[in-house]
Amino acid sequence: MKNRTFTCIICPNGCDIAVEYDDEGYFRCEGNLCPKGEKYVLNELTAPQRTISSSVVVDGGELPLASVRLNGPVPKDRIFDVMKEIRAIRLKAPVKAGTVLIKNIFGFDSDLIVTRNVEKKA
Amino acid sequence: MQHFDIIIIGAGVVGSAAARELSRYKLKTGVLEKTPDVCCGTSARNSGVIHAGFNNKPGSKMARFCVEGNAGFDKIAGELDIPFRRTGKLVVGFSSDDKERLIAMKTQGEKNGVPGLKMVDKDFIRQIAPNVKGEFALWSGSTGICSPFEFTLAMAENAAANGTEFFFDSEVTDIRWDGKNYSITAGGKEFTSRWIVNCAGLGSDRISSMLGIDGYTIHPCKGEYFILDKKAGPLLPVPAYPVPNPKEGGLGIHLTPTIDGNILVGPSNEYLNDSDDYACEQDVMDMLIADGSRIFPHLKREYFIRNFAGIRPKLTTKEEGGYHDFVIERRAEAPHAVNLVGIESPGLTSSVPISKEIVRLIQEEEKLSLRDDFDPIRHRITTFADKSPEEQAGLIADDPDYGEIVCRCETITKAEVLAAIHNPLGVHTVTGIKYRCRAMMGRCQGGYCQTRIAELIMRETGCSREEIVYGKDDSWMFTGKVRG
Amino acid sequence: MDVYRKGAWMMITEHRNVIIIGGGPAGLAAACALYDKGVKDILILEREPRLGGILNQCIHDGFGLSRFGETLSGPEYAGRFIEAVRQRKIDYITECTVINLDNNKCVTAAAQDGLKKYQADAVILTMGCRERPRGGLAIPGDRPSGVFTAGVAQSYMNLHNTMVGKKAVILGSGDIGMIMARRLTLEGAKVEAVFEILPYPSGLPRNIEQCLNDYGIPLYLSHTVTRINGKARLSSVTVSEVGRDMKPIKGTEKEWPCDTLILSVGLIPENELSLQAGVVLDGRTKGAIVDENGMTSVPGIFAAGNVLHVHDLVDFVSLEAEKLAEGVSAYLQDAGEGNQKTCAIDIQTDETIGYTVPQKVSGKKDVTVSFRPKFPSQNRVFEVYQGDRLLTRKTVRKAIPAVMLHIDIPAEKFVSEETVRVVSHEE
Repeated sequence: MKNRTFTCIICPNGCDIAVEYDDEGYFRCEGNLCPKGEKYVLNELTAPQRTISSSVVVDGGELPLASVRLNGPVPKDRIFDVMKEIRAIRLKAPVKAGTVLIKNIFGFDSDLIVTRNVEKKA
Repeated sequence: MQHFDIIIIGAGVVGSAAARELSRYKLKTGVLEKTPDVCCGTSARNSGVIHAGFNNKPGSKMARFCVEGNAGFDKIAGELDIPFRRTGKLVVGFSSDDKERLIAMKTQGEKNGVPGLKMVDKDFIRQIAPNVKGEFALWSGSTGICSPFEFTLAMAENAAANGTEFFFDSEVTDIRWDGKNYSITAGGKEFTSRWIVNCAGLGSDRISSMLGIDGYTIHPCKGEYFILDKKAGPLLPVPAYPVPNPKEGGLGIHLTPTIDGNILVGPSNEYLNDSDDYACEQDVMDMLIADGSRIFPHLKREYFIRNFAGIRPKLTTKEEGGYHDFVIERRAEAPHAVNLVGIESPGLTSSVPISKEIVRLIQEEEKLSLRDDFDPIRHRITTFADKSPEEQAGLIADDPDYGEIVCRCETITKAEVLAAIHNPLGVHTVTGIKYRCRAMMGRCQGGYCQTRIAELIMRETGCSREEIVYGKDDSWMFTGKVRG
Repeated sequence: MDVYRKGAWMMITEHRNVIIIGGGPAGLAAACALYDKGVKDILILEREPRLGGILNQCIHDGFGLSRFGETLSGPEYAGRFIEAVRQRKIDYITECTVINLDNNKCVTAAAQDGLKKYQADAVILTMGCRERPRGGLAIPGDRPSGVFTAGVAQSYMNLHNTMVGKKAVILGSGDIGMIMARRLTLEGAKVEAVFEILPYPSGLPRNIEQCLNDYGIPLYLSHTVTRINGKARLSSVTVSEVGRDMKPIKGTEKEWPCDTLILSVGLIPENELSLQAGVVLDGRTKGAIVDENGMTSVPGIFAAGNVLHVHDLVDFVSLEAEKLAEGVSAYLQDAGEGNQKTCAIDIQTDETIGYTVPQKVSGKKDVTVSFRPKFPSQNRVFEVYQGDRLLTRKTVRKAIPAVMLHIDIPAEKFVSEETVRVVSHEE
């Protein structure tokens, strides 16, 4: 039997969730205010996932950068690979929020999307 | 290789005053400054008080030049368009010992020719400065306050407008005399000059030695300060000093309103081994508050916006204490040099008379002739915050950049920041811009405007992120772009 | 110089129903809610070139969970409100800085096309907050470059495409500091550690997890920077442990080499204009004292969002600003029924609670009181009394200063004009 505690990152409540589990599939958790917490902890135990936000460079815009984020989580250990992809992108103004830059990044159910409009420099 | 008639070493307040005074004459004058701007050392880091002259020994140069400098300050402030206010000053006492010392200071001051000194009682203190503690005080009516940076800058700019050349990042590393001219190596460049004026402040002993004049040692003595928020400003209308300890060679922890409306608390008195140690120390900071609170019990933490330290170039050691008179001399070892050593307090007040003394010493050797096109007038950057709404509307109509507030704490507009960036001396450091227009000087200390000022510096000067310098050499701000 | 004395400049005063100072999340939400209540003559004055306020630089996600039921980045969250303002054709002016506000609701603002003067019937203060700088902490040491507040570093990196350093130490465990720790790490900088003077973190637990733990960045509680070293660029900071009295413990000093120090040591509501207008501030929140309608001590001047008290979630900023609309429109429509006076019943707290907002109520309306516990605790009971009478209570499983709490008091519970007290104790 193993014991661990997690701080749930799904919402600002940040529940402290205590977990009991073993390798045979036994799993019990307490401290989560909602079912999302249980799902989060299960993921953390098996395949932790994260989303990230960053920026891509924009040429000819009112701002030099457009912010971007993943709209779904990817395995935590792929975060720096995602950053590599983000660094390689170069956009031309105007840029629209919501534009998908990479669909299903690395084959995961997660797109890299633009999160702000950047107009052409006046 | 550039040749000059006169090279001034050091662009502090004395060097800048000398530059301006010499620019009245038909001379080619250059100023060599080791830092990236004028007024980066002792001259900027003090109380900004234009002293009356009662602290100095009768018959000394300190006494004479201080009294003269104070008397002439309205005129120079007018010519240079710098704010100056004769606030008067209180030196407050509590004990009978204090009283004796204050009376002695008054007598000394009167001997020096200081006008408007009087002993005053508690009621007088309460009327002039209700928040200042003290049983009685010496009131000095002629004491005033100015911005030491703006004063220095204004003289340097006026000198530059009258033809003086300034070389920054030009630390003097070698001086040679060939019987006719000096050859000077500074910042990797070579200069020649018929005269040298040593205004090197904390480095004046080193320059003396290079000139062949031995025997001087500067003992750096640090003074730390707190700057208080303008919110506290109205609590203190005049400088309030304790009775100084004559052994210390400082004026004691005092409270000074600044010309811009803040309050300074300090300075401490710490002898150092390193003349470049501007760090503030916790125990000293605690002492400043404890000591300052004795005469001004309003030193609340919420008023603190910044700390800084200045260093006095003293000729007396810690053990000797007190003051050594200004050294302003010509010596046989260095026939074409005017050597100034140990110009400490009251150097700011004395700087203009000192500059006239420099000219007098040079004139002993050669006749200088006045230019007929010297223009003594310098204009400061037109400020927005202190104008009436009608004037502000007029400023914006003439220059829309006056309608863009860059620094919200001090209400400094883009027009002022741009004028500061395009300053006559060509200085582009972040602190250089800050001192010239007061942006980033307020309570948020650049939290709102520093990013935009950095952007404006890049845009206006064409420099890259990596090239922006905060204040001193090597004080880089950024490593480059985040992307591409 | 005489450039500005070119004759008398006629300043025309424009009349507006409502002027909103600040086009960040609070201002935008207040504008839309007011519009929807039928107040159409609104003008938002924003000093930046674009609406959205600080959200523009908050490119991380986690916004909007309670407001929109999904997680958004700052620009997206702001974008929804900006879109709502545009749809309603609410007037706004950007790059327009208010430089004066008086107690008569007269607003003076500077913009490139002139100095503007407005007479408003009501003014809404939504100026947000600013960061506490190094000077406010009086950290000893040198004054090198490389010391940034977290928000300034965030602005440099996310808006100005400017990288601030390679090796960073963060002082203060505020949320922005932790978010910047992750941001710097993702961009290739090494973040050595986060130091917090308090024995507990200042920011949200989820940020400790996803911004620090995920990237192996240690958080040292009860530690603070006691010296800044470096004559030109920052070369190191000295860090000491602090005792229960929050004073550094001698002998625990350790030097941490770094070229960048990020300060995340508190936010201060930006109330310079409020003070000009004579608005009375609360020494605890550093924001205005307001009643349940969001009205300050100056009738007709309202406040919401971070200018009122620093929030941990923008969702609550929006909510607070939206609720204001009711009070503002009542103030505008009505004269006589007490809507034009600030409410009279005070809300006080015991020593376990940092503050409440509002600080005043009428006793005639349902009211939600926001407050912060002063220290972390488990299973804490919060109670609201009027005199000896318990009005309502609420048990909170995990109460921490980083998370603002709310308690509802229904109108019918109020029994008198007596002072209301919010207190707490262990379960």
